[in-house]
Amino acid sequence: MTEFFGKFSLLFLTSLTVFAFYGLMGYGASHSGSGADWSLLHDSYFWSILSFSLKQAGLSALLSVVLAWPIARALYYSNWLPFRSSFLSLCLLCFVLPTLVLITGLVVLLGRSGFVTYLLSDDWNLYGLHGILIAHIYLNMPFAIRVLFQQMTNIPGTSLKLATQLKLSGWQRLRWVEWPALKGSFLRLFSFIAVLCFNSFAVVLALGGGPQATTLEVAVYQALKYDFNIPEALALAWVQFSITGILYIMVSRWGSVNWLSADTSARRFTPQVSALTNVCHALLYAVVWIVLLLPLLSLIPSILEVNWQKFEWLSILKPTLMTLLIGAVSASLALVISYATLLPLRQAAIEKKRYLQLVYEWLAMHTLLAPAMVLSVGLYVYLLTRVDLDNWGIIFVVLLNAAVIVPFSSQHLRPRLLQFDQQYSRLADSLKLTGWSRFKVEWPWMKSTVMFSFSLVLLFAMGDVAIFAIFGNDKWLTLPWLIYSYAGSYRLAEAALASGVLLLMCAFIVLYFERSRHHVEG
Amino acid sequence: MLKVSQLQVRLKKVVLDYDFSVKTGEIVTIQGRSGVGKTTLLNVIAGFEKAYSGDVTWQGESLLHKKVTQRPVSMLFQEHNLFEHLSVWQNLQFGLQGEDISERIKQAAAVLEIAEQLDKPPMQLSGGQRQRIAILRTLLRPEPIVLLDEPFAELDSTTRLIANDWVRETAKATNKTVLLVTHQDEDVERVGDWNLVLG
Repeated sequence: MTEFFGKFSLLFLTSLTVFAFYGLMGYGASHSGSGADWSLLHDSYFWSILSFSLKQAGLSALLSVVLAWPIARALYYSNWLPFRSSFLSLCLLCFVLPTLVLITGLVVLLGRSGFVTYLLSDDWNLYGLHGILIAHIYLNMPFAIRVLFQQMTNIPGTSLKLATQLKLSGWQRLRWVEWPALKGSFLRLFSFIAVLCFNSFAVVLALGGGPQATTLEVAVYQALKYDFNIPEALALAWVQFSITGILYIMVSRWGSVNWLSADTSARRFTPQVSALTNVCHALLYAVVWIVLLLPLLSLIPSILEVNWQKFEWLSILKPTLMTLLIGAVSASLALVISYATLLPLRQAAIEKKRYLQLVYEWLAMHTLLAPAMVLSVGLYVYLLTRVDLDNWGIIFVVLLNAAVIVPFSSQHLRPRLLQFDQQYSRLADSLKLTGWSRFKVEWPWMKSTVMFSFSLVLLFAMGDVAIFAIFGNDKWLTLPWLIYSYAGSYRLAEAALASGVLLLMCAFIVLYFERSRHHVEG
Repeated sequence: MLKVSQLQVRLKKVVLDYDFSVKTGEIVTIQGRSGVGKTTLLNVIAGFEKAYSGDVTWQGESLLHKKVTQRPVSMLFQEHNLFEHLSVWQNLQFGLQGEDISERIKQAAAVLEIAEQLDKPPMQLSGGQRQRIAILRTLLRPEPIVLLDEPFAELDSTTRLIANDWVRETAKATNKTVLLVTHQDEDVERVGDWNLVLG
């Protein structure tokens, strides 16, 4: 029964993608007699956007990981630094921050008449590669800090004690203890962030422009939105899907952090560092606090410009409730689907069927690789003649949002569940725990991870723009779309206010779930 | 009777052969050099590893085609016998049945000198205490076949003797058929009815 549920969920995810591509291919074939337009491969425009997509994704991922490492080390080795848990919550908030909120903040801060633009050189321009890299690093570096810090806290205390007892130097400890513990994470992190940036939409749409600063995802959008050139969009989508797919398969095969998975209560041992190192750590820590807070705080002056007497609160209240509702339903659905899709994967892992495990993993994660824009438009085209999308479009906003956030919850649940299986599957089998009785044992083990995962995907779903752009309408207006509408009509003060409300909601959710997680773990 | 008939297990390039039988209610200690296949034998009987050929029967019925959860086996592993995220008492609720089970757990815990550990989380226990908790649960379960993989390895000499005696008395009183892997000759003499040397 559970296996059927798992395979059914995989089928659901796969069928969304298949229908989306089928919709595009069917439309392309009926209007131009063919599917994808592969003559695009001979066009310099294509190579230009492909090279830019790869360059910005590679640079964003590399810089995010490289910059995150020293900060994670500072947090780990200088555990006296104040407000560390608040800092980690801020890191999470930055990662899940709705892109439009960040872009509003960056424009206020670094745009043509930004607060700190006068400090920069005359030829400074936020738009183009600079701006895209800044936004991508702002969104992803904090995530890398959290992951690397978490991995470092998982280094068995016995290894660090042994290193200290053997009088290993800082460099030797880095080489023989830290690096083996983190190298799998580096590769996974780099590729995960590269995939995210490769598929990045809103950032590039807002801060990019022209063939010199356009990614495949935005090119797909432009081909669909402005030219309605389905064959070109299909060719671009296939290229994007293939590259991210190859990247993901490579990472799945290489990246491994299994040796860190064993639970041990005796791991809390941190080697002492010199006073000078502590000072460097404190300085770095303070700088990162400022860098992360500035774009968020820069919203405040713009918000103060709102004409409060004329402002209609209902215009923001309704989208706020709608954002919460769509987010909560999508996130719950995504969690159920993730848990289910991991069932066959876990079974394959227990039976040591490596390739089958990889296939299930790929199927569960593939919506991360398929451009959200292609999924939305393809499905829209497929459903247009079959469903009354004016009335039922909101259902597909929820379903597609759930589908595209499944990889994020799976990414969180998978290691914890595999760890459970690694440690306890034989014991649970031996005790004849199946079905509900097994779930009762698994739930306390998973509870904090599930809650945390829920908050993460809830925040992602709340920030969606791309899917709503296709399936949504003014009846179901959400906050991100409201921000986009305000910004589009140059009502920047209202855009900042809506951004502020969304930011506050996200911050409350992050804080609530972080606190509940610490409570459960404590 | 537990009968292991011309059983072959293939581990990479090594072929392991087993052929013996154990009468119902007997306690057999199993010894042999490291890597000779003692744990593998227990894993095959419990269903965690597959046999290449031969058969394992209990009271005339083959076990090899049954799932792990359907086999009449209670097994103690070398490690990971307790769910770390649950309390000891919660851990002891799994697999145990009967109205008087709480009383039986408390009596056994008193004999094994772990009565004061029952409400604690496993991570607060020493290796020996955890091992005795796991032994207690494995022996009190209703399954007629008990497989113990180095159950006394973490115990000091005094508690080892106590645990030795408790295992033998409990197994005999409930007519369990026990296969016990050990490196200690003392366990062989004190607990087993006969000794099987592999290799």
